[in-house]
Amino acid sequence: MSNFMQVLIDGLLSGLLYALVSAGLSMIWGVMDVINFAHGEFLMVAMYICYWLGFILKIDPLFTWVASGIFLFILGAVTYRWIVKGSLGKAAMAPLLATFGLSMLLKNFCMNRFSPNFRLLSGTLLDGKTFEFCGAIISLPQFVTGIFSLIVVAALYWLVKKTRLGWAIQATAMDKEAAELMGIDTEKIFLLVFGLGGACVGVAGGLMTTYLAVHPEVGGLFSLIAFVVVALGGFGSIPGAFAAAILIGLVESFTGFYVAAVLKYVAVFAIYLVVILVRPKGLFGW
Amino acid sequence: MKQSKRTVFIAMLALAAIFVSSAAFAAEEIKVGALFPLTGPAAVSGQNCVNAVQAAVEVINKKNADINDPLAAQEGLVGGKYVIKVVPADHQGKPDVAKSEAERLYNQEKVFAIIGCYNSSATKPASAVAERAKKLFLCGCSSSAALTERGYKYFFRHAPTDAIESVEFVDYIAYLNKEKNAGIKTLGIIYENTEFGKHAAEEAVKAAKKIDLKIVADVPFNNGATNLNSEVQKLKSANPDVVFGAALGGDYSLWVRTMKQVNWLPKMAINYCTGYQNPAVQKELGSDGNFFMGGMGYSPELAKQFMPEGIKIQDKYYTPKSNQPFDSDSIQEAVMMMVLAQAIEKAGGPDTEKVREIIATQEFPSTMSLSGKVKFSPDGQNAEALSVITQLHEQSYKTVFPLKYKDFEPTIPMTPWDKR
Repeated sequence: MSNFMQVLIDGLLSGLLYALVSAGLSMIWGVMDVINFAHGEFLMVAMYICYWLGFILKIDPLFTWVASGIFLFILGAVTYRWIVKGSLGKAAMAPLLATFGLSMLLKNFCMNRFSPNFRLLSGTLLDGKTFEFCGAIISLPQFVTGIFSLIVVAALYWLVKKTRLGWAIQATAMDKEAAELMGIDTEKIFLLVFGLGGACVGVAGGLMTTYLAVHPEVGGLFSLIAFVVVALGGFGSIPGAFAAAILIGLVESFTGFYVAAVLKYVAVFAIYLVVILVRPKGLFGW
Repeated sequence: MKQSKRTVFIAMLALAAIFVSSAAFAAEEIKVGALFPLTGPAAVSGQNCVNAVQAAVEVINKKNADINDPLAAQEGLVGGKYVIKVVPADHQGKPDVAKSEAERLYNQEKVFAIIGCYNSSATKPASAVAERAKKLFLCGCSSSAALTERGYKYFFRHAPTDAIESVEFVDYIAYLNKEKNAGIKTLGIIYENTEFGKHAAEEAVKAAKKIDLKIVADVPFNNGATNLNSEVQKLKSANPDVVFGAALGGDYSLWVRTMKQVNWLPKMAINYCTGYQNPAVQKELGSDGNFFMGGMGYSPELAKQFMPEGIKIQDKYYTPKSNQPFDSDSIQEAVMMMVLAQAIEKAGGPDTEKVREIIATQEFPSTMSLSGKVKFSPDGQNAEALSVITQLHEQSYKTVFPLKYKDFEPTIPMTPWDKR
């Protein structure tokens, strides 16, 4: 029983982390129909920011996630203004290739500046802290990241569904020209959406520094899983992405423990394939 | 006017003479490929390996009167006729990239030999390219025993294999059970699902049978994973007395940190050629890395006693590049560079067949090997390969086995996380 609880909780915590990493990507993809290929590298940049703030200034990632969130908001907005905007309306693959170029640039810049070394913050406030729940040991850094994930996803959902700004975002996502005719500045909406997408992954990366090592390749598998989460949940659906992330976390955890650890990602991508074949718009897509 | 014309003519003649003479005396370059994972999960180790090869080349190409090594006193090879030029290449930890990079190095870069590839899974296809092309392939630290079981003629490996290390691990456990009443009866194995990891696990299973060590957990994992929660949970639920680990670079630190998160440790954790041996990884792990063990062919502590010249090379040429001392993996790549250079020196130049024959049949003194020499068996495996078991204490690798090299009383069982 305690094994089952442990695996269940590990799966939920992994799922919450994936939800936090995927939330921003889901928004960008849903509203702008643009795949931000540099999403994983945004995550890496956020982790480096919190790592260096922790290493040099000794500020705990529990606080510096604010800085990485703000920086990534700016990076997201700048990416839109300087890279994505110019490629919109051109060949269908243009924004994807532009952000792919950005991802290469960011990865190689960090590789060059910081070397491929794995960098891990030791002695953080949450480092190594655990508590027991129903016979399962819960890692406090992962638990705190999970709580933040719930807050960020709920805040995004509230923003999109309950505020005038959110209605403008939804209107832009549904019909850009019609939204412009209604007086919505869609340029600003796109800028904001890219910024918010960056901020979400900035918060995720910041908090991950409390328990994961930073290196130039860290974003790779996370971004792949984020793409699966968004496609599985339904493009642009924040609750869909959340549910898909939890599902992926649980599938990964249960397959890893009860079937074979090497098959955990196989199971994740197999479920994705099945859902895409049966319901191409994803679980919650419209 | 006439005089100035004459001056210009003399100056040009002088310049031409300098150019011709420098061209006549310029040493010929022998290109050697250094094929390692310079990006990807094992990039740290790969870059260290390239730096180690380059450090060896500095010793070979320059006059180093302060270093007592066979090629240090002279400048270049064969009386200064040749110098070595390293051509680094990146296989990203991917076997298919390793194969195509090996082809590029031999066919386009025209390298005389390749040194590599760190990951056994990359070494296997890259050395197959070399064998087909009848070119030399020298391997420092890839430890999969299968690499030297293929009957290759142009492949030579310095490192002790996983088979040798597995036997050493169980010999140590047998010693602890007999002499220290350690009560180690069950084994768990966690390994990356690659050529290296799978062969290490196979050898561990074979060796465990020797002392009736019962295998209670066999946990392969995908390298570069986002988490190792279910893997560590599997180990924890089986609760083996000892765990053999084969996890490289970042996966090693993730494994250690995940064990801390679930608050579990076996009595002993012994690692193959892994992230355990990398001082940079251990620095990041800090005190969390304490009490883990691993097989090693080099540590600064061992070197002080048995490889003083290796320390000189390290301090002069390697540490300025890598900002850390040699580790067990990188130094073995440097050794293979030295062996290749000695063979070229003996052959009188870069003649592949002559050099191959010399490497295959002769013994080479090696100031950077624990045994002090290198001699290959007919299968290409270094018959003089030696490794010791160490335990980490506050960033320092303490030798605990074989007893001949022991300089420290190990902490067994490992101190639990909540009592550190």
